[in-house]
Amino acid sequence: MLAPRPLFLFLAISVCAAAPVSFEKEIRPILEARCVKCHGAAIQLGKLDLRSRRSALKGGEKGPALSPGNASQSVLFQRISGLGKPAMPMDGKLTAAEVDSIREWIDQGAVWEGEIGKTAANPLKALEDSPLPPHAGDWWSFRAPTRPPVPLVTDAQWANNPIDAFIKAALDARRLTPAPRAGARTLVRRAYLDLIGLPPSPAEVRAFLDDKRPDAWARLIDKLLASPHYGERWGRHWLDVARYADSNGYEHDFDRPNAWRYRDYVIRAFNRDTPYNRFLEEQIAGDEVDDVTNDTLIATGFLRNYAKVGFREKDNPQFRYDYLDDMIATLGRGVMGLTVHCARCHNHKFDPILQRDYYRLQASLFSYVEVDYPLVSKARAEEYQRRNAAIDARLAPLKRRIAAIENPYKLLLVRQKYEKFPANVREAIATPEERRTPGQSLLANQVIRTTTVSSAEVEPLLKPGERALRDGILAEMRNIERERPAPIPMAMGIADGDYRFAPDGPGDEPAPGKGMRREAAEGSYRPDPGKPYVPPPSYFLYGGDMYSHGSTMRPGFVTVLVKGEPPVESPPPGRHTSGRRRALAEWLTSADHPLVARVIVNRIWHHHFGRGIVPSLDNFGHTGDMPSHPDLLDWLAVEFRERGWSIKNLHRLIMNSRTYQMASSFGDARDEAGDADNTWLWRFREQRLEAEIVRDAILTVAGTLNARMEGPAVFPALPRESLESMKNGIWRRQKDGPETWRRGVYVYRKRGLPFPFFEIFDLPDQTITCGRRNVSTVATQALALLNNEFVLEQSRLFADRVRGLSSRPDEQLRLAYEIALSRPPTDKERSLGLEFLQHNSIEDLTHVLVNLSEFLYMR
Amino acid sequence: MPKQFVSRRQLLFEAGGGLSGLALAYLLDREDLLAAQSAGESRQTPLAPGKPHFAPRAKAVISLFMSGGVSHLDTFDPKPALRKYAGQPLAGRGEIVVRQGHPGPLMPSPFEFRRYGDCGMEISSIFPEIARHADELAFIRSVVGRSNDHVMAHYELATGSVRMGGPSVGSWVTYGLGSENQNLPAFVVIYDARGGPFGGPANWSAGYMPAVYQGTIFRSSGSPITDLKPPPSISDARQRARLDLLARLNALDEQRNPANSELAARITSYELAYRMQSRAPEAVDMEGESPATKKLYGLDQPTTEPFGRQCLLARRLVERGVRFVQLYHGGLGIQNLDTWDAHENIADNHTRHAAEVDLPISGLITDLRNRGLLDSTLVIWQSEFGRMPISQRGVGRDHNPGAMTIFMTGARIKGGQVIGSSDEFGYKAEEQPVSIHDLHATILHLLGMDHTRLTYRYQGRQMRLTDVYGVPVPGIIA
Repeated sequence: MLAPRPLFLFLAISVCAAAPVSFEKEIRPILEARCVKCHGAAIQLGKLDLRSRRSALKGGEKGPALSPGNASQSVLFQRISGLGKPAMPMDGKLTAAEVDSIREWIDQGAVWEGEIGKTAANPLKALEDSPLPPHAGDWWSFRAPTRPPVPLVTDAQWANNPIDAFIKAALDARRLTPAPRAGARTLVRRAYLDLIGLPPSPAEVRAFLDDKRPDAWARLIDKLLASPHYGERWGRHWLDVARYADSNGYEHDFDRPNAWRYRDYVIRAFNRDTPYNRFLEEQIAGDEVDDVTNDTLIATGFLRNYAKVGFREKDNPQFRYDYLDDMIATLGRGVMGLTVHCARCHNHKFDPILQRDYYRLQASLFSYVEVDYPLVSKARAEEYQRRNAAIDARLAPLKRRIAAIENPYKLLLVRQKYEKFPANVREAIATPEERRTPGQSLLANQVIRTTTVSSAEVEPLLKPGERALRDGILAEMRNIERERPAPIPMAMGIADGDYRFAPDGPGDEPAPGKGMRREAAEGSYRPDPGKPYVPPPSYFLYGGDMYSHGSTMRPGFVTVLVKGEPPVESPPPGRHTSGRRRALAEWLTSADHPLVARVIVNRIWHHHFGRGIVPSLDNFGHTGDMPSHPDLLDWLAVEFRERGWSIKNLHRLIMNSRTYQMASSFGDARDEAGDADNTWLWRFREQRLEAEIVRDAILTVAGTLNARMEGPAVFPALPRESLESMKNGIWRRQKDGPETWRRGVYVYRKRGLPFPFFEIFDLPDQTITCGRRNVSTVATQALALLNNEFVLEQSRLFADRVRGLSSRPDEQLRLAYEIALSRPPTDKERSLGLEFLQHNSIEDLTHVLVNLSEFLYMR
Repeated sequence: MPKQFVSRRQLLFEAGGGLSGLALAYLLDREDLLAAQSAGESRQTPLAPGKPHFAPRAKAVISLFMSGGVSHLDTFDPKPALRKYAGQPLAGRGEIVVRQGHPGPLMPSPFEFRRYGDCGMEISSIFPEIARHADELAFIRSVVGRSNDHVMAHYELATGSVRMGGPSVGSWVTYGLGSENQNLPAFVVIYDARGGPFGGPANWSAGYMPAVYQGTIFRSSGSPITDLKPPPSISDARQRARLDLLARLNALDEQRNPANSELAARITSYELAYRMQSRAPEAVDMEGESPATKKLYGLDQPTTEPFGRQCLLARRLVERGVRFVQLYHGGLGIQNLDTWDAHENIADNHTRHAAEVDLPISGLITDLRNRGLLDSTLVIWQSEFGRMPISQRGVGRDHNPGAMTIFMTGARIKGGQVIGSSDEFGYKAEEQPVSIHDLHATILHLLGMDHTRLTYRYQGRQMRLTDVYGVPVPGIIA
């Protein structure tokens, strides 16, 4: 799809009359090797079977595959030549000679002898066992990084930090001039926005300007890395990768009342500087590690963040395969920078990722079930369950007594409801069951099984004595309910188990005719403590079709990336789990994994510089971008790993470089001409604040930010039309005020309704993993900043803040600039501003300041 | 950060894949526009009008979406066999998967069908007004969806995928063609006064594309766009003063940072926002419409007024160069009552909803024709799935993605024809099944775009609205 193939070349080559093509020698081998694995005995994708001439002529969903005598009219030829889409075969293309042979063969009448596949060895086996192409491991990112030598640069300013040496060497090679160091005010603002996502206060700016120690900058970075706001800022980046949201998505868009604990875990992990290898291990196998804690159990929410349909999994296993696919896509793109999920139905089209690799990875994850972990001691959790069970036991006889009162009326009302149906329905119900016609049985069954009566409907019919009796019982029940223990905190995670025995949950609607119930005979959802745990089997699925089972799959990894002996599952003794996810985590974080360290250092680099060394953060494969500075990337990856996978250390390394401290305002005609995109980093790249940070920054300058950390999400006010457009799920009507003026990372992430103020500032889709957000500049952003009630109110509060500090217009002007932009106004700005304030209020000015480009960009 | 519309290289790569001369020409044209606005690669005009791949039939789309699932059997796909076999089970079709409750016996339509127009099109008695246009309408009676779930089926119609998160058709169209009017959003959504459709904003999301391509919600009364105007406490003069100061300060900033191309783009976005403030209210102000026009859309009757306003607004927007207008009928509220989701009673539900839309849709077609807009506007009527030939509790019908009927008009398509068919009971599509991908390929084709060439690069892949599927429906495009 990337490079246009010069099709006309081989279409035009052989115009001369050709010798008859031998089906046996030339065509059969092609069909056997390349076609029948998907269009043959195993499966017939697109309903096309290419085993015989008859079946090929009959064709599939796209009509006959062959038009004998006319290759260009034959779908088969169109697809293999690339003239028709999708091009075939799915996993690579035929050679020009092969395409030629098939064209001639069809033009000559498509003579066909016998049936394909009869002579071939097991065609299914061939599909599962397809080998890696030769030299598959040669691609740059599939080779493990080794530490390259740091280039020697003569410029002393650029020789202290290895990052600078790599960058300067690349600039020198292209005769590009690097920008000078940015001014101190720009730098302090940059550091604050970058590391904690909040603009500095005038006092914080002053403190940095006054710090004349030589290591003032390094100290500032350390101070900001120690701030709890750091985790809120950098955890947010990871939450995009983790496709974190507070609701299920799809029809019901159910609330996930405990999802926020995972969000808080991520914030804590960044603040604690949890080594990245450990961070991955906790999220993939937090329930299987040696030292399980509440946090490691919460961390398993990473795999459970998938958007979910409200159907029973055991009845509708197709959805479970989609969730597994989403996990594989997230681990692939998010952790390995590879589109592994493309190998679900066929070998990957562009990268040497086998379909077998996909199903091995699936086997590593397949035993997962959804679990809500109590975050209290075992004793307390059991106590909680026991008390609830006791209350349920006391309620049960009372419920029965109420039913005894209500049931006669319910029966009466049901019969009345039947009377409202048309004659044919009434007749069907009235007819004795054994005398009903088949159609009447269906009708009667439908109506009888779905006609219900609620207690509210019964209420008006009760006799006074009955009502008094019932009300007495209800009061008693309410009293008992009050004894229920307070809910214990729960985390939304995963564990090993057997999904085929899942209990019903909210939204599950067991009913005949709904989905495809396939139940194993015996087993339990969570492993039975008395028995050895056996994970449910998973299979190689031909064409990705859940019913086309191939071999049972063992856990495994992406073959081309496996160096040496990969880790194997070892069930932790005394625990009821397979150890499969732990083996996966061990493989990902092993020292010789070629991608994991590169991918994370590239993400960190991207968030500092606005662009990765590999710009396609989630794709290091053949269709991704090439690294601009491959040696630097490898050096950073090795350094990162060898220094204990510490992300905070990586920040220190990067931010203390000369490269990071360059000015963004630098303009150089030769640089512009030679590198307009700033690929080689001759200046700092100015970056628009992200959606949440725009709001955080406005709250900060208004002095209204509620800095409380962690806890359940907040629900800022929504425009009316957004509320009206939302069919399901929740958006708590919370009045805008200090309770909602918390950081954007705490705003409820509802899949069915992205928070509109964030959405216009390029909030990514909340259902799939995302590394790099879009950055657009559109009129609706301007409208929101000009007219949105939140922005206007904060501008007023910003004005109040300034008025509280001084009553003199010139002083107010200076303060407003210092607060909003971390600098005093220039002379020109001062005279413009004072003139403006003669006719307008300070709140007009503060509103203008939060609309300035300078306010919205990190420079 | 990557500047989505700034790097020419990126623009070329993302928008066309460099596959054809036409696509290239269209890109170069856009580049000219960029260059004309300012030297260098600064102005961001992602919605500049674009050239299609080939001569288009239409330049705008009005999509009429009947949310909840219209029964094809009771509207545009008559099935006499249902009367003949009424009360008998639908046998020999394997397990019948229903969404609610349990399968029932076959149930005939409560409505009569009559023939209309020179073509003799059979249309149900609940659509007498739309029926007048029979000779201009092309029906497809063999559309097949993949989900019997409202939301997933909505997503499939909207994005081609039942999974959440893809860009919608409107996003793809505006990505490909931009807009004729830079003072209004290119892709507008107007939903039912009772509330949004199943699945909510994901139906008009731009998915992985930039936010500029997502649908903008217009209200058919009051201030049409969120945050279009400041609250009344801020006078026009006061806002003008703020904008003037903002422009002067931003200009100073730009002088200090001459190399920075983002700044010019942001300044432009404020200019556009300011123009929108005056143009958008004008676009929704229907007071100037003649009484005859208002009557045409049924604005004079309470039943037809709400959807009539939506349809009239759609015409006004298309007239002003808006590229894609998505209307929804049926929405939030009581599902069985306020949408077409006729589980409980097909006769009551469909009679009521048909009465709400019949005259407005007919009026829209007439008005577009009278104003010479019909030939350049594709009108497409659709729902998320059809309904079952078997009854639900003797009076209602359950969901059926196996067969549904849609119609198109305008865009110089051949009217008075029926494409494809469903089986004798209308349970599954039979002749010439048309997938949602096929439908999308057809819409793009009528707009002059080849669905295999309209690609957007995302995570290393050239993404398409139609994935790797889809063929334009031959009868429509012939």
